[in-house]
Amino acid sequence: MAMIEKYKTEHLAKNFQFVLVDKQGNVAESDNTLFNIDVDSQIQDWHPFFENFSDLLSSFKDKLHIDCVHLDSGNTQYITDIDFEKKLDGMLIKVHNLTSYYDNFQTMAQSRNESAIASELIIIKNKEFEERERFKNQFIQNFSHELRNPMMSMMSITNLLAKTDLTPSQKQLLEYVQEGNEHLKLLLEDILSISMISTGRLKLENKTFNLHKLFDLLRFTYANKAKANGLKFDAKIDARLPETAEGDRLRLYQVLTNLLDNALKYTDAGSITFTATLNQKWGNKMNVRFEISDTGKGISTENQKMIFESFSQLNHTNEKDGVGLGLAIVNGLVKLMGSEIKLTSEIDKGSMFYFDLNLKTPITQIKKAPLQKTIKSFAQKSKAAMEKQKILLVEDDERIQTILLKTLIDSGNYHVDIINDGGKVLEQVLDTDYDLIIMDVHLPNTTGNQLARLIRDFPIKKIKNVPIIGITADAFEDNIKGYLKDGMNTILSKPFSDSQLTAAINKYIK
Amino acid sequence: MQKSKKIVLVGHFGVGKTSLIRRFVKNEFSNNYQVTIGVHITKKEVQIEADKSINLIIWDLEGTDDLRTMRPSYLMGSHGAIFVFDVSRPSTFQNLNEDLALVNDRLNKVPLLVVGNKIDLVNKEDLDSLLQEHQISNHFLTSAKEGTAVDSLFTKMAKMVYGHD
Repeated sequence: MAMIEKYKTEHLAKNFQFVLVDKQGNVAESDNTLFNIDVDSQIQDWHPFFENFSDLLSSFKDKLHIDCVHLDSGNTQYITDIDFEKKLDGMLIKVHNLTSYYDNFQTMAQSRNESAIASELIIIKNKEFEERERFKNQFIQNFSHELRNPMMSMMSITNLLAKTDLTPSQKQLLEYVQEGNEHLKLLLEDILSISMISTGRLKLENKTFNLHKLFDLLRFTYANKAKANGLKFDAKIDARLPETAEGDRLRLYQVLTNLLDNALKYTDAGSITFTATLNQKWGNKMNVRFEISDTGKGISTENQKMIFESFSQLNHTNEKDGVGLGLAIVNGLVKLMGSEIKLTSEIDKGSMFYFDLNLKTPITQIKKAPLQKTIKSFAQKSKAAMEKQKILLVEDDERIQTILLKTLIDSGNYHVDIINDGGKVLEQVLDTDYDLIIMDVHLPNTTGNQLARLIRDFPIKKIKNVPIIGITADAFEDNIKGYLKDGMNTILSKPFSDSQLTAAINKYIK
Repeated sequence: MQKSKKIVLVGHFGVGKTSLIRRFVKNEFSNNYQVTIGVHITKKEVQIEADKSINLIIWDLEGTDDLRTMRPSYLMGSHGAIFVFDVSRPSTFQNLNEDLALVNDRLNKVPLLVVGNKIDLVNKEDLDSLLQEHQISNHFLTSAKEGTAVDSLFTKMAKMVYGHD
């Protein structure tokens, strides 16, 4: 027992310093266990902790305890708890050295605070990244949308120019311009697609389509393209695949053509093979594997990881022309369709891209139009074409007006009236019986779709039923659906070609 | 006798309270974050006017994300306070008004300055909109790293507490 007391006293003696000071703060006694404090010196001169000693003295009644105070003097540093006890002639100060205890505490606090700060900064960085991506995609979307009007003018004007008398060298130059326009148009569509995928604005259609016709189209197009490049093209289509399928034909076609174009681009010799295989069929559902393989230069393992990422990261991997959006679009669209694009590739041997897609197989089959009916409608159309059809063109942009007017008049089949102002359309249709209205959606004073709604509500049958072709620079599916719902029969998105316009007109003029 | 005034630096952890003091007292800076536990006390004489100076006794308090847990014994006898937040971390200023009300209450409304530190980490436009969005006024914007506005902050504090008991 006596030994324990001895050890305890030794331990306490080693870690405690007692200091007695008078009411003025003069040091009366100090055991100097931890620090050297001179007798008769002012305690506040020893360490700023004791500064304003008289204030401190009056701030408590009998005792005061202060935790975790860093005290240092010369080369000596301790982390201490300090107790003050008021005595008759002054104050007893007890300094308790707890450095090792507080050092452990410090280590814990360090790791806790660091991890809290790090996780907050990660969240902030992610938020900033997401915001930047959103802004970038929105900007691209708006920008490419704005480009559509001038693109439309350029394409139409060059097409009109091509129909005039030109010297062979002028024709050659114009062909370059047309090629450039076409390239720009494709690029614009690609950029718009990728930004619509990224912002989640792209919605898939779910319609019945003829699967084999789609394969025929691919076979025809790519056999020719491959031949032109000195390559062999092979399409292996599983005979068990049904005639029709339900899904988004346009987007499936976009994925397959992007992959095939990519194969063409990177294959200098050998062949390209397109394969479609039925993996499984159950009820009215099926799973189909689509595969595009080539004997091209192949893709290194390192590049395989980033090849499907957004174009900003792909730039430096591209050795060929273009910005390399194709595969990023493929990746986005295939994901949207609920699948995943995969790739196996070996340098100098070739690459194989593939994905497994769930499609529905509709029970009702697409019926082919009877030949008799086709002949009859053609005969009707020819007869109707004997007289000039009346078209009302509502468009405020003078350049587009001129281009459309020239296309329509050049065909020699139509009489065309033009209105700039949406406010005068109703008056005009009451005055004249039109066979067709071609109307811009964005007009001064009103909108084309509002007018379409009013026309469809007219009590006069002839006016109520007049076909309306809407034209717009808007490419957003939701908006286009809205215009159709408002009563427009079809929508042509700018830029469109002469032939697209003619096809649309022929569809609605009887 | 030279006047001495106790000022306390309070705020969340990691906002740079220790770095501001270190820059002011020793004109030094370190990128290594060293968590403060308990309290460090330093003293510095500040010249207010040609013939007027004051000793600032600067109490560097450990930071906490919940200011209610501040130890009352550290705040006793304070003449002024500096509330520091980190402009690059919203969690350190998103409850600023509540935090300031608490500091005012605990410190009996002694002179108080509000400081956004680490301005070297954000750009000027973001900073302006951030201050506006959170309606932060009566502030100093500092960078302990680059020494921006650190001296003027402490001098302002010194002037505020000089004639204040």
